[in-house]
Amino acid sequence: MDERIIFHIDANSAFLSWSAVNALQHGATVDYREIPSIVGGNQATRHGIVLAKSIPAKKYGIQTGEPVIDARRKCPGLVVLPPEYFVYMKCSSAMVDIAKDYSDTIQLFSIDEMFIDYTGMEKLLGDPVGAAHQLKDRIKNELGFTVSVGISSNKLLAKMASDLKKPDAVTTLFKDEIPSKMWGLGVRDLYMVGQATEAKLKRMGICTIGDLANTEIELLKYIFKSWGEVLWCYANGIEDSPVKPDGAIPYIKGIGNSCTIHFDVEDKDIAHKVLLSLVETVGMRLRNAKFCCRLVQVSIKTNELKSYSHQHKFFVPTDCTNAIYKEACRLFDVMWKGEPIRHLGVRVSELCGNDFVQLSMLENSFEKQRLVDLAVDDIRMKYGNHSVFRAGFLHSRLAPMQGGIVEDFPIMTSIL
Amino acid sequence: MKVYMKQIKMIAWFTENGVLTPLKFQIQGSDNEIVTIRVDNIVQRGEEKLAGNRMMVYRCQSEIDGVEKVYELKYEVGTCKWYLYKM
Repeated sequence: MDERIIFHIDANSAFLSWSAVNALQHGATVDYREIPSIVGGNQATRHGIVLAKSIPAKKYGIQTGEPVIDARRKCPGLVVLPPEYFVYMKCSSAMVDIAKDYSDTIQLFSIDEMFIDYTGMEKLLGDPVGAAHQLKDRIKNELGFTVSVGISSNKLLAKMASDLKKPDAVTTLFKDEIPSKMWGLGVRDLYMVGQATEAKLKRMGICTIGDLANTEIELLKYIFKSWGEVLWCYANGIEDSPVKPDGAIPYIKGIGNSCTIHFDVEDKDIAHKVLLSLVETVGMRLRNAKFCCRLVQVSIKTNELKSYSHQHKFFVPTDCTNAIYKEACRLFDVMWKGEPIRHLGVRVSELCGNDFVQLSMLENSFEKQRLVDLAVDDIRMKYGNHSVFRAGFLHSRLAPMQGGIVEDFPIMTSIL
Repeated sequence: MKVYMKQIKMIAWFTENGVLTPLKFQIQGSDNEIVTIRVDNIVQRGEEKLAGNRMMVYRCQSEIDGVEKVYELKYEVGTCKWYLYKM
């Protein structure tokens, strides 16, 4: 087969520019992209971190992920916009709609990124670089925001390419361009290399992607195990996963939701309620993806930002909300030392298909409750998440389902 | 022209093909007085999809207080709201 041609489209400072365009359309007289501004969570409910920043805000040293208070301190006149997930979802779908004119194989990688398989389309739409320019300009003119496009022969290189030049640019990074365009970058710029891996690599004297690519693969394997091989392949631009169009269930390792509570929880019952609201979301997602889980993990972050977690394996895989909830509460009771809680999370993993499940005679039967779960899921699917909820949440100041955003959108994943 | 982006009450008509044309609208003035304006002439019509949000945009002309004025109206398809965008 000939070499594939893959585009990676990345919206530039997505949340901020989407909010800015939406504001302009609704009569704003300033373009928030041109002044120091950020999209930040609500400080009153303690979700006050910077989600996105404008380019002028970047000049003040404001970083994504830092508290809004710190950002305000760095730049006194800073404009803080609230997140508008419905706007973001609209922008994202509009972007996909335009991309559909260029190929039928599109993978929405996160809310602001997607891969397009352009292989074979050059016969119809012409040279890839020209088509990418056209696509980029159409998004700019029709939707009002800019994107960076990366073009290459696989998803990894396309993603690296779109990072090279921002904003409003088209960049190619084919195999023969790897040494000149990619190897000079620091290892941290390589996809999947985070703080921990970077530190380890630096200790080995590997500072750039080129250093990594030219290191003996056996040495990397010895230190990082199988991960070392992945790193080496990525540094050499070797990656061959297909562009998975919508509908193909991605390879999921686990499903988890967490939330920062708008007050410090110091009471076991309230903590259990928060856990229940998280399990409701996790359980629904689990059943929706047609999985059962074998492992439950509960994590706590205290008001002093100390985190710890506990996990337990089920004897029999389950997808029942009550079964997971019961286990989550038990785990919580075992590990909680009584300090005020800021953040709680529930995660299930070791997933398996839910079509054939081994039953156990020794454990409680959750069969009837599973039927209730399915009925509740159906009602929620049809009439919205708040159409039916547990009476325990009445007047509790807590949302009956927590974690995630308005809809299940691919937010971030490390799997190409 | 100044940007107002003020919600307005509107009477408009649709053709059988779905073409929408504004006829007349009411707007609350600064002294809470309600003003009715008849759309005399549509100079230009267009559609925008900024941020993925569909809006029909009309550049119109009307005689207001004896003065011929040009202004822009917007119709937000998703919410069915009319706005006086600029005047």
